Amino acid sequence: MPDDFKTRLKIAKSKIKKKLDNDVEKRGSFMGNAFKLGTELVAAVTVGTIIGFILDSWFDTKPWLIVIFFFLGAAAGMLNVIRAANRMQRED
Amino acid sequence: MASNPMQQFAVHRIGPEIKIAGIDLSFTNASLFMVISAFIILLFLFLGSKEKKIIPDKIQLIAEISYSFVAKMISDTAGSKAKPYFPFIFSLFMFVLFCNMVGMLPYSFTVTSHIIVTLIMAVFIFVAVTIIGFLKHGFKYLSIFVPSGVPVVLLPLITIIEIISYLSRPVSLSVRLFANMMAGHTMLKVFGGFVVSLGILGGWLPLSFSVALTGLEILVAFLQAYVFAILTCIYLNDALNLHH
Repeated sequence: MPDDFKTRLKIAKSKIKKKLDNDVEKRGSFMGNAFKLGTELVAAVTVGTIIGFILDSWFDTKPWLIVIFFFLGAAAGMLNVIRAANRMQRED
Repeated sequence: MASNPMQQFAVHRIGPEIKIAGIDLSFTNASLFMVISAFIILLFLFLGSKEKKIIPDKIQLIAEISYSFVAKMISDTAGSKAKPYFPFIFSLFMFVLFCNMVGMLPYSFTVTSHIIVTLIMAVFIFVAVTIIGFLKHGFKYLSIFVPSGVPVVLLPLITIIEIISYLSRPVSLSVRLFANMMAGHTMLKVFGGFVVSLGILGGWLPLSFSVALTGLEILVAFLQAYVFAILTCIYLNDALNLHH
């Protein structure tokens, strides 16, 4: 049955083409995701340290709060990265 | 020719000095390029929507693609509840994109390579999203700082970490755009400087790098606008649909 084979080939080809088109579309957002993660970590550490610095000068407890909030900021940064990575996995 | 690669980021006054209540409000080259970008967007969308043909010509097609691109982005990340915020996110995306792209032209100025510009946009988004969250959910919005299923002992610690994570949003949003744009343009200028200093004999290698980097920078310019807009959608989604 040459006709049947032809239609099946056509369907298979269009499926592959659709998949390729989707991949090209997705590649852009992969790059975007890669750029996203780095700053996510640094920003939280910065914000944590700044909060620590401000609280230190309020309560006159130099340098303890800045140390504590540096580590809290690092934890928040890791949380941010884990969330962003989870979001990426859900999108796939 | 300016040989300093940071020279391109210098802001200088155009026209008369305007001072209101001790604040310098003069028109600078940064403001000029913001106005240029805004005008290009208006012109582009005006031309794109002037003739509503069934078979679109090129400019109408591009305008329609940019519309459906942003509409799809919003509905994918923030759901149907975010539809009313389409105009804001569309203008944000187009403004960042065109500022980045206008900055790619030789002799132009990249507005988004200044942290104050990106920080103002990010802080505006941050404040707006927080207000939207409180308007939609009242004080229940504060529950985003308290994740469910955490032991009571750890709760104060986790809450502080969540608050830091929330406050870091505008910083990461603005620093990402600013750092990418500034680093890219500095790199382009540095390689351009190598071409001049190595002369006709050795200048070809950095010149080819420069050409490749220009392509990369155009990609980065688009990607950063995309990332900026999609993160706005994600933050909006957190404010509209409380679920963690």
